[in-house]
Amino acid sequence: MEQAKGFSLKEWIFATDHKKIAVLYLITSLTVFVVGTLLAAVIKLSHWSPAMRELIGAKFYNVSFTIHGAGMVLFWMIPVFLGFFANLLIPLMIGARDVAFPRLNALSYWAFAGATILAVLALVLPGRLDVGWTGYPPYSLVTDANISLYVFIVHLLGISALASAVNFITTVITMRAPGMTWGRLNLAVWGLLGSFVIQLFGIPVLAGAVTLLLFDKYLGTNFYNASMGGAPVLYQHLFWFYAHPAVYVIALPAFGITSELISTFSRKKIFGYTSMVIAICLITFLGFDVWIHHLYTKGVVAWANVIQSFLTIIIGVPTGIKVFNWVATMHKGSIEFRAPMLYAVGFIILFVIGGMTGIANGLLGTDVHFHDTYWVVAHFHTVLSMSMTLLAFGGIYFWFPKFTGRMYNESLAKTIFWLLLIGSLIAWMPLYKAGLEGMPRRYWQIPAQFQEIFKITAVGGFMLILGFVLTLYNFLASAIAGQKATANPWGAKSLEWTLPSPVPSYNFKTIPVITGGPYEYGNPEEKLEGQPAAEAV
Amino acid sequence: MKSILTLMAAVLLLLPSLASAEGAALVDPVKSWDNHWNMFLTIVTTLWAFVTALVIYMSLKYRRKKGQGDGAYIHGNILLEVIWTAVPLIIIIFLGVQSWNVYRQQITVPKDAYEVNVEGFMWGWNVTYPEGLKTINEIRVPVGRPVKVNLTSKDVLHAFYIPAFRIQEEAIPGRTTNIWFNPVQKGEYTAYCTEFCGSGHSLMLAKVIVMEKTDFETWQGKQKEGMVLSPLDKGKKLIADLGCLGCHNITGEKTAAPTFKGISGRETILADGRTVKADDSYMANHIKDPKSTTVKGYSQSMPPYNLSDEEINAVTTYLKTL
Repeated sequence: MEQAKGFSLKEWIFATDHKKIAVLYLITSLTVFVVGTLLAAVIKLSHWSPAMRELIGAKFYNVSFTIHGAGMVLFWMIPVFLGFFANLLIPLMIGARDVAFPRLNALSYWAFAGATILAVLALVLPGRLDVGWTGYPPYSLVTDANISLYVFIVHLLGISALASAVNFITTVITMRAPGMTWGRLNLAVWGLLGSFVIQLFGIPVLAGAVTLLLFDKYLGTNFYNASMGGAPVLYQHLFWFYAHPAVYVIALPAFGITSELISTFSRKKIFGYTSMVIAICLITFLGFDVWIHHLYTKGVVAWANVIQSFLTIIIGVPTGIKVFNWVATMHKGSIEFRAPMLYAVGFIILFVIGGMTGIANGLLGTDVHFHDTYWVVAHFHTVLSMSMTLLAFGGIYFWFPKFTGRMYNESLAKTIFWLLLIGSLIAWMPLYKAGLEGMPRRYWQIPAQFQEIFKITAVGGFMLILGFVLTLYNFLASAIAGQKATANPWGAKSLEWTLPSPVPSYNFKTIPVITGGPYEYGNPEEKLEGQPAAEAV
Repeated sequence: MKSILTLMAAVLLLLPSLASAEGAALVDPVKSWDNHWNMFLTIVTTLWAFVTALVIYMSLKYRRKKGQGDGAYIHGNILLEVIWTAVPLIIIIFLGVQSWNVYRQQITVPKDAYEVNVEGFMWGWNVTYPEGLKTINEIRVPVGRPVKVNLTSKDVLHAFYIPAFRIQEEAIPGRTTNIWFNPVQKGEYTAYCTEFCGSGHSLMLAKVIVMEKTDFETWQGKQKEGMVLSPLDKGKKLIADLGCLGCHNITGEKTAAPTFKGISGRETILADGRTVKADDSYMANHIKDPKSTTVKGYSQSMPPYNLSDEEINAVTTYLKTL
């Protein structure tokens, strides 16, 4: 009924359908992911040898890691979860026909698209940003980098994210189908909801922080200008008040999606659903009280450091609960290793490395040594690239039928998984050693004793890049010419799989009445084996 | 839940006793750090290996067999969940308290410490000794006596980091922060800047030289006598120490800033369209106020350097020879 209509540009530009907006988010964030990867290649090339470093130069190296960091965090990781997955999944999983405010949703996307164009242009416009994605003053005030552009990009992103947050929180609260109680929500929805709450409360603080930066630079105020009595470290407090919880903005949906994948492919009810939800809520709230672990070595009073140190490491407890519950979900399951499951398991193994090393950043004594060294770089790259990115790829494969109507290439996806897993171990594990031995981050020049380590990690980096190229090929080729997918290729019991692939624009012909949770695998009381716990559409 | 709370209370009550247990004559924070680190590494490696082994075990053991249907229908298990909440919590509080103790050593400066003042600038470190001596990018200290470093910055944020002593702290303009370390062994250690501060950031290294007490005194004596360098050598040393070569070069290549090769007397077109001859007064003026005479084709990123006339003379003398 839907097909036989040709491609229409107008239809996409004026799209308010959440599934179309989801695809737009995915295309845009993958584009930035490509740019970010190219810049990572510049960074890895400059690590390769002194001759390469001379060729690239300090300025271009600094611009590269600035745009690489900002691009990967703000334009790939956050939008792929809160743009793509939230748009695609939330209405389908709660049994709604669209989000609460579809046109506001379109505005969110287009503000994001505008910010994306500016961020890529920042690479070539005069006054290239060489301030790190954090943009700490007073350096950002004295360099000739175009801070107005930086601030404008953050504001555009902020408008987009705040509108999204309001939109999706409203959607989840008010638009759940009859019978979709809070206790029957998919964990992916819970995770996304936690993220939107963080966005709602955190982004205004970041917006304030960068606005003061703008005033200092161009209007002559002195909030951060130490020579006029300002407090440069104040910016870091305000910045990390949002930017640390932003880590959980990425992690919570990733946790939720992992639960979906593990439960579906183990054909088993999620273990300890309630504690999974409590863990998500705890991380959401605790996340706002740990930003000082970015400032242990910034002259903050000791008692504040001690309190936030304990709060930081305590986040390891709810995170641990999630990990153990995933493992327990696999226990006595009937596990099928399709590509998404493989990616989810790889996520757990890498994420535990990232989580454990993160504890060393939260502990006071160890962090005084590790702060701003390659240890930290290795830590957040094992977390973001690859565990979170791996999981994002797994999720994209999993729901590929729902937004393209086609299947991806299974064996290629599995091959890429091993390439990415081994590549990321080679790319990041040696950097922990470099950090332990005291190699500071954001160094264009590499002291001779670390050269060997950086050469090894560069090899891993290029394996990752190869894996990304193949992944993008798999996405593109499969979206165009993949095998046609059935409505429910995984036999999953969550609501979105009751709909045809691809999902028609109105989603549900009649709003479904929900009679059970999304993970009722093997429920002996359920009569129809393999049927979702919702009435037919 | 109750048992967890009781445990937390017990740990908190134990803290003061732990705190008074330290305070031995000569604490070596590096040793405490290394012990703490070994403990941490053992615990997290064990935990990681345990989780990974479990994941692999489940993956192999519960792989779907042909014709197998759904897995077992299990909601959860309260006892198990309490265990894997409580055990990590205990481990984490244990590590947290231990780390807090290490941190306490890191921030408690011994009373008899030798004090040096270090000021970060773009891109190097000015060191001032209590005896009034000054060095750049080099800190010499006598072995066996704790050293307190008072940190501040002239321009932007820097951070002073000596990996060998497991210690770092931000150098903040307009404020003084401090760190201390215990140089128990003679040797040469590297100090790095760990707060990104521009194109010379990765060249902002300093040497920490721990010397025998008598050698240290001899060195101080020599410095005091005014072991004067010739203007040419002094200029060369200043160019290297101040980090000028982070952007400029002496080989004639085109990099982030105009080359020093043949700079003296060069016809130079400025960003505002003026053409000037790079004579002594131009170079002196440009060092003090680079913004006023940015060279065409280059971005203005050089900070002003507040050098004395004698130092500027030394620099221009050296530049003329290139």
